[in-house]
Amino acid sequence: MAQAVIQVAQLKIGYGERCVLKDASFSIGAGEIVGIIGCNGAGKSTLLKTIRGLLPKQGGSVSYFGKPLEAYADKELATKIAYLQQHVEVGFGYTGKDIVMAGRYPYMKWWERESEEDERLALACMEYTGTADLAERPVTEVSGGQKQRILIAKVLAQQTPIIFLDEPTTGLDMVYQEEIFRFAKALAAQGKTVLMVVHELNLASKYCSRILLLGEGTLLADGAPLEVFTEELLSRAYKADICVERDEVNHNLHITTRMSEEAQSREAALLKRICS
Amino acid sequence: MLNKCYGKAAIIMLACLLVLVGCLSLTIGQIDVPFQSAAAVLMQQLGLPFLQDVSLSKEQLAVIWYIRLPRMLVGMLVGGALGISGAVMQGIFSNPLADPGLIGISAGAATGAVVAIALGEAASGMLAMPAFALCGSILAVCLTVFLAMRNGKIPVMTLLLAGVAVGMLLGAITSGILTFMNEQKLAQYLFWMVGGLDYRRWEHVYLAAGPVLVGIFIMLLLARHLNILVLGETEAKAVGMPVLKFRMGLLFVAALTTATSVCVSGNIGFVGLVIPHMMRMLLGPDHRILLPASALGGALFLVFCDCLGRTIIAPAEVRVGIMTAILGSPYFLYLLRRMHKSVF
Repeated sequence: MAQAVIQVAQLKIGYGERCVLKDASFSIGAGEIVGIIGCNGAGKSTLLKTIRGLLPKQGGSVSYFGKPLEAYADKELATKIAYLQQHVEVGFGYTGKDIVMAGRYPYMKWWERESEEDERLALACMEYTGTADLAERPVTEVSGGQKQRILIAKVLAQQTPIIFLDEPTTGLDMVYQEEIFRFAKALAAQGKTVLMVVHELNLASKYCSRILLLGEGTLLADGAPLEVFTEELLSRAYKADICVERDEVNHNLHITTRMSEEAQSREAALLKRICS
Repeated sequence: MLNKCYGKAAIIMLACLLVLVGCLSLTIGQIDVPFQSAAAVLMQQLGLPFLQDVSLSKEQLAVIWYIRLPRMLVGMLVGGALGISGAVMQGIFSNPLADPGLIGISAGAATGAVVAIALGEAASGMLAMPAFALCGSILAVCLTVFLAMRNGKIPVMTLLLAGVAVGMLLGAITSGILTFMNEQKLAQYLFWMVGGLDYRRWEHVYLAAGPVLVGIFIMLLLARHLNILVLGETEAKAVGMPVLKFRMGLLFVAALTTATSVCVSGNIGFVGLVIPHMMRMLLGPDHRILLPASALGGALFLVFCDCLGRTIIAPAEVRVGIMTAILGSPYFLYLLRRMHKSVF
């Protein structure tokens, strides 16, 4: 087997004293699209932030290309991993191009300026994500979907073998959502490793090559979507009754929640009281 | 590309305007000195081979060389320092309302000054009060940063709140000391509080020039990094920036530069807040253009306000700290009104 791109062993994460997730071990190879799923508060974003080195870990080890996370200098790590965070607030009227150019930062010495080559690359990234016409427009004036595509262009401009996406589809309409997954798939086909936090299970089952399911304070399951997306595992992770149907025609999964009869009747009674 | 040329042209234009206002500042005032004589004083004093044949009265020489020139230079240094520090602070905190005064610098300087006056040190030499004020403001900034620091991070909101708290505490100390002072000392303090450029000598120029020019140079050098820092802590870390190091470094340089300027001229409001905003609206948010433009704009604004203050009710004078506030506050209110617009 080829060398693991990301190697995580016995990882324990959390905030301060509070532990969110422990005993997480997994290794990811080149070209995989790995979706991290789990209910709210399961520690998906915390996991991503911790293995990127943005949060201190409570225990365990993380290494990239066989080298421990701690051994990387700030800039060196930024040439290995690009990270798209959940909410990016950009003020002061920065333009799309300004944002994308930030992706070239790790390649410059502190006294250097962006070269024309950097600029060309940034524009190519914007063209690829369909945002070239927004290059000179302040980011505060573009829509959520456009902003997300600009940020993906920034991540691409960083030219890293590993890409972390933290809930990249939140707040986007379904056309943009699927587009982001298509970008991820195309990048993985180029040999990049994509690790993303996902909420849309149906899209995850369609596009991800592998799923990490977080639940019950640990890594509950790790495997191909068909192995992980079982009623039993999902119900445990989401602490709800979940129904998984397989589409026999194109093998897509349909995942929905099911309500117990007891809960249904209680809700009906409450609704009657509210609406009467 | 277009933007870059536009930015450079704007900076050259600001520099030309600054020279123009500088000339204006040398020639206007109670004693009329024609421009040619003013230029001749400079040339002759600097030993340059121009205008050596122009005859000058003793009075003209004294007015230009010992009164107006140092006054103008102090104005330029202070204005430039306040302008660029304001732009840097707004960038460090990603907050358009951040101002050098906000993290306790002005309050610290005031406390330092009042201590110097109370101890009678202010009378012992021209530099005693600036030195006390400088120590006060540096202590205040250190205290603010120390209070706001959590696990190697400085949350912006905590820092600003800590700045307000430290400012209030020092304000109380200042007022406390003031209540025990006699009238003569009170007048001395008031005179310092309302920032001004009158009676600024070459000593003030020498005191301010070093820290201010070095500070401006360092800030200009790090302008590109500020563009990344403004995107927020996580975003900057994600592209490999050691955020804490840059934040602390820039904060320290901006604080020291501001503190130095407050020491030689007293509190001059609104330059650090208004000028960076004005420049950002005109030239965009790129700090590589914004920082030099803010330095030049600040110098220009301050020297211009000083000229205006000297002539508006001549022979009496409106001190420059009052002029900047009078011109600055309406503009600031206008900014607040349009805050929902895209600039912020």
